[in-house]
Amino acid sequence: MGAVADEASLIARIAAGDAVALRVLFARHHVRIYRFIRRLVRDAAVAEELTNEVFLEIWRHAKSFAGTASALTWMLSIAHHRAISSLRKRREESWDDGAACALPDAADNPEVAAQKRDAGAILRRCLDALSPEHKGVVDLVYYHEMSISEAAAVLQIPENTVKTRLFHARKRLSELLRQAGIDRGWP
Amino acid sequence: MTEDSEREEIEKLLPWYVTGKLGLSDTSKVERFLAQHPDALSQLQLIGTEQQETMRVNEAMGWPSSDTRDRLMASLPRSATPSRGRFARFGQFFRMRPALGPQWAALAMALLVLAQAAFIAVLLTRAPTYRLAAGAHEDGAAALIAFADDARAADIARFLADFEATIVDGPKPGGVYKIKLRNLDKSQLDDTLLSKLAEHRDIVRIVLPSRD
Repeated sequence: MGAVADEASLIARIAAGDAVALRVLFARHHVRIYRFIRRLVRDAAVAEELTNEVFLEIWRHAKSFAGTASALTWMLSIAHHRAISSLRKRREESWDDGAACALPDAADNPEVAAQKRDAGAILRRCLDALSPEHKGVVDLVYYHEMSISEAAAVLQIPENTVKTRLFHARKRLSELLRQAGIDRGWP
Repeated sequence: MTEDSEREEIEKLLPWYVTGKLGLSDTSKVERFLAQHPDALSQLQLIGTEQQETMRVNEAMGWPSSDTRDRLMASLPRSATPSRGRFARFGQFFRMRPALGPQWAALAMALLVLAQAAFIAVLLTRAPTYRLAAGAHEDGAAALIAFADDARAADIARFLADFEATIVDGPKPGGVYKIKLRNLDKSQLDDTLLSKLAEHRDIVRIVLPSRD
């Protein structure tokens, strides 16, 4: 509760034009925001740019922070919106998810072939190959450890949709793993 | 509810059960189901692995470049910055120095700031090479400072007053001034203090320790 109140007071200071408060908020959260965006847009430079845009938006619209959700939830919501808008603009981005989890082939050097055989590495590649929609919910729940209601607030969808979306993301993960030669027995 | 649909409903909740983010009512529902269907326990292991690898994937995203914050701060539109209380820093100054309670101290400080603002305005507009007479400010730690291009003289004056600093030399090439912080000796001018000075990015472009 203290941390939530502290963050709300930081945002109130930002709304009053306190640039130091913005620096503090940036220092606390920019890595999380950057990683969330970068996972979605898959480009470090674009992710940096969008991260700055998120904090610029916070600077401009801090007064609109209602305080009903945590500051992080609010920030990730802005980040998600920015990342998805950017992806829509870059329509050339296509999700060739099968290729990302491919089995080793004869052309691979020994290091790549070993990585492809490592179950953890395969799972990571498949996680990276999920669609932005699936990746977003997976990251919010597993990395940012958000509750159902928090994830719903970030994604701006109903709570039941959050549950269903993660369920389908996990099923898709199983499919990708199966294509990569790993059957994990579910679904 | 059929067993299949009940299983699916529970499976949808399991990720939050594993991360400990499920409400009490749903947690009880999940635990009742797991007690009756031990085969579903294998899901917990799968989800644990998914979470562990998701963490690793995210950690592998690394960090944004170190100048990201500077670019952000540089891009803040000035017009969007609501005016801070004009005398907020005076307030802070006197909160830090309760011994200066009498009203004459506030008046004296206000006059000092005004005088320094006028002086800085002259410096910034005419940019003469300026140096105090030898010995005038021999005490205090020295630092080299360049002010932000759009910093106002009054803000610079207030900033200097807050840090009990005075310009003693400059401008040098690059618009650099030497300042003396009156109540500090050289040993106290450490990285922490320099960082505090540099935090005022709306006023300070660069600040460095001075060799003398």
